[in-house]
Amino acid sequence: MTSAGHLHPSYDVSPRRLMVVEVRDLTPEVRHVVLVDPHGTALTPHEPGAHLVVTTTPGGLAGGTTKRNAYSLTGDGVVPRQYAISVLRKDAPTGSGDESGGSVWMHGLGVGDVIEVEGPRSSFAPRHDQRHCLLVAGGIGVTPVLSHARAAARWGGSVEVLYSYRPGHAAHLDDLRALAETPGVSLREAVTVDETLALLRDRLADQPLGTHAYACGPPALLEAYLVAGRAVGWIDERLHLERFSAPALDPGSPFSALIVSSGRRVDVAPGTSLLAALHDAGVVVPSLCRQGVCGECVVPVRSGELEHRDLVLSDVERRAGDRMLSCVSRGARSGALIEVDL
Amino acid sequence: MSLAAPAVRPLAGPTTRLPWPFPDDLESFRYSVNVEPARVLRPTAAGEWGAHIVDLGGEEYGATMADRRRILDADPHRVRILPGMLPACWDLLLYYLRDLAISFPHIMELHEDEDRLHWRNHALGTDQSFVLGDAASLPYDPMTFLGREIPDDLLLVKERDGQLCFDAGLVTFAAAWSVSFDVGMTMDEIHNPVPRLTKEGITSRAEQFLRRLPADQVYRRVNWTLSASGSRKLDVSLEELPAWGTDIPALVRDEDWGRLQLRIEVEHFVRLPMTGAVTFNIRTHMTSLDEIRRVPAWRDQLARVVLELPEDLATYKGFADYREPAMAWLTAEVVA
Repeated sequence: MTSAGHLHPSYDVSPRRLMVVEVRDLTPEVRHVVLVDPHGTALTPHEPGAHLVVTTTPGGLAGGTTKRNAYSLTGDGVVPRQYAISVLRKDAPTGSGDESGGSVWMHGLGVGDVIEVEGPRSSFAPRHDQRHCLLVAGGIGVTPVLSHARAAARWGGSVEVLYSYRPGHAAHLDDLRALAETPGVSLREAVTVDETLALLRDRLADQPLGTHAYACGPPALLEAYLVAGRAVGWIDERLHLERFSAPALDPGSPFSALIVSSGRRVDVAPGTSLLAALHDAGVVVPSLCRQGVCGECVVPVRSGELEHRDLVLSDVERRAGDRMLSCVSRGARSGALIEVDL
Repeated sequence: MSLAAPAVRPLAGPTTRLPWPFPDDLESFRYSVNVEPARVLRPTAAGEWGAHIVDLGGEEYGATMADRRRILDADPHRVRILPGMLPACWDLLLYYLRDLAISFPHIMELHEDEDRLHWRNHALGTDQSFVLGDAASLPYDPMTFLGREIPDDLLLVKERDGQLCFDAGLVTFAAAWSVSFDVGMTMDEIHNPVPRLTKEGITSRAEQFLRRLPADQVYRRVNWTLSASGSRKLDVSLEELPAWGTDIPALVRDEDWGRLQLRIEVEHFVRLPMTGAVTFNIRTHMTSLDEIRRVPAWRDQLARVVLELPEDLATYKGFADYREPAMAWLTAEVVA
């Protein structure tokens, strides 16, 4: 442990090993995985909505590649003895570049397995001074919402949960219904697109002063949430959201990247990311979501016109043209050459 | 010419643990974002400091805590916790009790059983069982409970609308400010009165630093001034202005420079993981010119730094009017 870090082991966020103590199917596609410290130490507390970074090995340890996947923690984060995550199995469509193999690997875990995790990290925390909280969950987006709801209940907050799901595929519905028995917590459910839209319009129009709203779910739900909120006068600073997947991107045009330190040129074909091309060339850039959502794989850019396709950089940062998210963004046009400062 | 020290007594006690605020080679002081990793032992001309994030204060611990508790009992307004900050106060309490029990195992113990905690501080006689998050299980709010165990002023900042705000604090030893006045302000609002600080971009760089404070590192910073009182009195807050406001004019009139106090503040920055709040805790130390005179390296450096300081900064720190005679006294050769 470095001299500057924490003395108590329950503040460790560095890569470390945790043990699986429970595996349970919540729906046909969602598996709940519970982790503890093998030595029985209390785990690092976390903010509601935080996520754990898990090192996964899709394809198996022999010959498989190591990836890092982020999963929302479902607990309230107050002195946790265990971390619980719920993983939606996403079988990789052919030709997708195996971007989703981590969830399949997670579904293969059994009790007693030891896995490497990092964090928790917080990127979807509640505002501490909110007077009321409106939570919107779509599908597997329920996981950070459950964490927020549990923390609000624990600290005596006031919270309303909207949960949009397909009947028979609603992870944690029982947990939310049980929470809704707590004073200050209420739950409303929607099981079709039309019901969801109507519920969003209705509830966003009827919240007390001082409310902050938080949504997690598929892109279409988040879009509908923003539209419904803005339509009745919400400011964006109070419409929080967490994207767990980005809209599908076209394969893009071919371009090349010149690595400044080595002078080496890497060609990036359509359907291949700069991140993957760099990786194949032996240049490892840390990455996490690989969807332009988390910002982990940002690389400095010295020259070249860019097509930014991420959801992280601000307009100012895009105009500066001195960095890009290597997982989704590309050279501006076919045959473009960019210089990356690696 | 002899550099014979005017010392008569060997150095002992608080002087040997004093966090001398200037690096050895520093000749002139300007504000900067002078943060460094915490828990690094730093040697000084008279001893060393900085092994732990809390400095209990050795033989002064009991007296300092009696002073703190007296002030809190007399003036409840020294604790300000804005709505929504109680979880952060629990986060703060848990972090510090865990750290204290590891740093000072011979006098402090924390036993944890899930959310049930048992804290014992044998130096102060505290023996308290409580449940984390259950306000009724402690005799005070969690920030006050901690503030009655350690000498640090406790400050928590948290982000609101893109700005770091001072949203909870327990402050009994403020240097001419008031927690009740400052609570709820942004970093910019709090630091605007400091000359050069905001204009030179230091406030915004400090704020950036705190916003990006990593979860796995603890940092500290040392700040200094000459105290507004010519005594060891730590409480020179605005609340107590009538009690200390005439101290320095009287000291200047009497030319009693040996009683002037160098006031040193060590700040510790910890990102608390349960709430994301960041600590800006301040531990205040005092040493008189009389004591500084016995450490030649300190004596010479303090005089250089104080005399070199530009007028606006010396005015802000409060000693522009008397720094020359005070430093002349400090560096005058002592007749044995």
